[in-house]
Amino acid sequence: MRLTRHRLLTATAFAGLTLGGPALADDLTIGLKSEPSSLDPQFHVLSPNMQVALSIFEALTTQDPTGAVKPLLAESWALASPTEWDFKLRPGVTFSDGSPLTAADVVFTFDRVAKVPNSPTAFTLFTRKIASVTALDDATVRITTTVPYPLLLVDIVNIPILSKTAASGPAPEGRTTTEMNRGEGLIGTGPFTFVSWQKGADLVLARNEHYWGTAPAWDRVVMRPMTNPAARAAALLAGDIDMMEDLPTASIADFRANKAVNVVSAPPARSIYIALDQERDDSPGIGGAGGKNPLKDKRVREALSLAIDRAAIVERIMGGAAVAAGSLGTGTMFGTSPAHVDAPRPDTERARALLAEAGWGNGFTITLGSPSGRYVNDARVSQTVAAMWSRIGVTTAVDAVAPPVYFKNRDALDYSAYLGSWGNNTAEIGTTLTAQLMTYDKAKGQGTANGGRYSNPELDRLLDEASGTMDDAARKALLEQADALAMEDYAILPLHFEVPSWALRSGLTYAARADQFTLPQFVTTEN
Amino acid sequence: MAAPMIPAAKTASPRRLLMQRFAESPLAVLGLGTLLLLLGFAALAPWVAPQNPYDIGALEIFDSQLPPGSVSEFTGTTYWLGTDGQARDVLSAMLYGMRTSLIVAVTSVLGALLIGTTIGMVAAYIGGWVDAVLMRIVDLQLSFPAILVALVLLSVLGQGVDKVILALVIVQWAYFARTARSTAMVERNREYVLAARCLNLGSRRIIFRHMLPNCLPPLIVIATIDLAHAIAAEATLSFLGIGVPVTEPSLGMLIANGFEFMMSGQYWISFFPGMALALLILAINLVGDHLRDILNPRNAQ
Repeated sequence: MRLTRHRLLTATAFAGLTLGGPALADDLTIGLKSEPSSLDPQFHVLSPNMQVALSIFEALTTQDPTGAVKPLLAESWALASPTEWDFKLRPGVTFSDGSPLTAADVVFTFDRVAKVPNSPTAFTLFTRKIASVTALDDATVRITTTVPYPLLLVDIVNIPILSKTAASGPAPEGRTTTEMNRGEGLIGTGPFTFVSWQKGADLVLARNEHYWGTAPAWDRVVMRPMTNPAARAAALLAGDIDMMEDLPTASIADFRANKAVNVVSAPPARSIYIALDQERDDSPGIGGAGGKNPLKDKRVREALSLAIDRAAIVERIMGGAAVAAGSLGTGTMFGTSPAHVDAPRPDTERARALLAEAGWGNGFTITLGSPSGRYVNDARVSQTVAAMWSRIGVTTAVDAVAPPVYFKNRDALDYSAYLGSWGNNTAEIGTTLTAQLMTYDKAKGQGTANGGRYSNPELDRLLDEASGTMDDAARKALLEQADALAMEDYAILPLHFEVPSWALRSGLTYAARADQFTLPQFVTTEN
Repeated sequence: MAAPMIPAAKTASPRRLLMQRFAESPLAVLGLGTLLLLLGFAALAPWVAPQNPYDIGALEIFDSQLPPGSVSEFTGTTYWLGTDGQARDVLSAMLYGMRTSLIVAVTSVLGALLIGTTIGMVAAYIGGWVDAVLMRIVDLQLSFPAILVALVLLSVLGQGVDKVILALVIVQWAYFARTARSTAMVERNREYVLAARCLNLGSRRIIFRHMLPNCLPPLIVIATIDLAHAIAAEATLSFLGIGVPVTEPSLGMLIANGFEFMMSGQYWISFFPGMALALLILAINLVGDHLRDILNPRNAQ
């Protein structure tokens, strides 16, 4: 009875969206948390766009579910010099229109990146270290970088290869973004082809009959934006969709116990942390400290870290869908200090003692800035941290605001302490540390996300050295040293890593990915 | 033309008459009783609530999401209505939340009443271009949905109880201005006003000493009904996450907080505050409706 009514309600709600008729056995309908802003794979660096692009197109390299780089359209690569990479294209690959993949397509693709106008976040983010891309012969491409750049292989994962013939046009960039949004020029080598897209409603893909790799299990894939998580969950339970993104943490336990659905989780990747102002003496969110900034004292930062029971936050607030953090990088990430993989244990006694030792035995007050609705359970995590800090005598107020206001305040350095987050798709901790903890210098592109304005010349030196070191073992050692240095200085307080979850109807499974992309080619039937 | 009457001067004890007529409706009396009870609990929240939900340092996170009737393993207190996701006692949070909701609603309605009535009466008394300008401003204000205006204001002003009050005053004053003006327009041409003018009394004295008492009844009715609206508006704003601070939830925010737990069967986090909100608004509306019946001059016959 309850189920019937449920079905009816959901069916009514989506009557306008469904195409009608019973779903075929080889159809897959996915409830997305947000829809792509464009189908042009070089317009906007945004997860919903990337995951559609990576279903239709493929790049030279790819990342496996844990984030490690693997060959894709490039079968192999070799360094001709520290700045010259020669990529050998995989033989026998054809586009979905049947034409073969050649080096000219790769050159065309990289050439188009900088020409796409009006991009909200440009893909030049991934090509800024590339000086030139040239075809050595039909099956070999040389990418020359401006400096020795070990992260090139990860960066080009985000540049899927277009067909030169299909994507050429009169405009400087060839097919324009508007044309691509209509489906023109969307010819790739990926497992699916484009069928139709209505903004705000379904995006339909079909199997690519010319696909060079293992054929995907689905004839037809429907990606349906459903922004409300409760609506997605209800639709999955009612059987209207086969898979949903981003299962709410409050529902995880119920869904795990439910035999009709299958919950899969990805390796943790996105880090949640608290940044502390360590630059100004008169910090805006601190009170009762006589114009001094207690956060500049390492003992105070250590006390604040010891006050936080990270395991309790993971269990009670995140519903188990997180991993407590001891560093900004996960244990599997390249360059994370092995000594800081495990989260520190809470110790309120020691925290109080450290505060007293630093001369703040009577405590002080602080305001913790937090977004409300940007990261998983963000405002609740902030309130819990505030409760834990208040216990050791640091009376904490939470300023939880809508994400745009939060970002504006954060960038204006209006917070003395704030809850932040950093997603790292490079699987290497160097990028995180460079953005978060290197001395702020916008021109050099370092410390760009360093809202606490932490500055340590020794850390800067280690990261500078690591960024130009091509030898993996040597770079790893430098990064581990840098990470350990930052964590032992309590430069920033890592809390946990979010574990993204998907739910599927039972019988289906998904190779859940650390990059949080929902890629239909990796949805398979369980045997 | 009918002879001018001053209703308040009709009998020796108008207040007693009012009370007598009010008591005629058992439903309204029930509403008033419920309202007084809720007001009493809200006012005494710090003394009757089992826990101070605003003292975040005292919250024990492992007590979160407990069902009604659970006993805390840490403090031994019983959570009669369960706990929410931050381990606040739902009963205590409700009492404190109701307090916030009522403070916001009463203060904002009084503020709006004061400002709106003054502007409306001045517009009616002076007339001419002053009236035209003021009433066009009122038109402009009324043409925007109240909640939209409040949303924009709060995103500019930021969070906090004082800011919510300010935003609600700004969206509500126009109703009072409109009502005050229309009643005052009628009163302006009455003989007692003309008489006062002949005596060369000041405008301020005529407006506030002579006209105001006769314009009050409809304004009181509007204020009562608006009180319910203000509570609902504050709840909506807090539900949307832009009202009061997250660590000091009002009823609306408590309901919003519990929303995500609904799908997993933890109904109590939203349900009880929702019931309290519904009861509060119902009680105010019952009282307001009956007051309108009594004070409406059209029903006086």
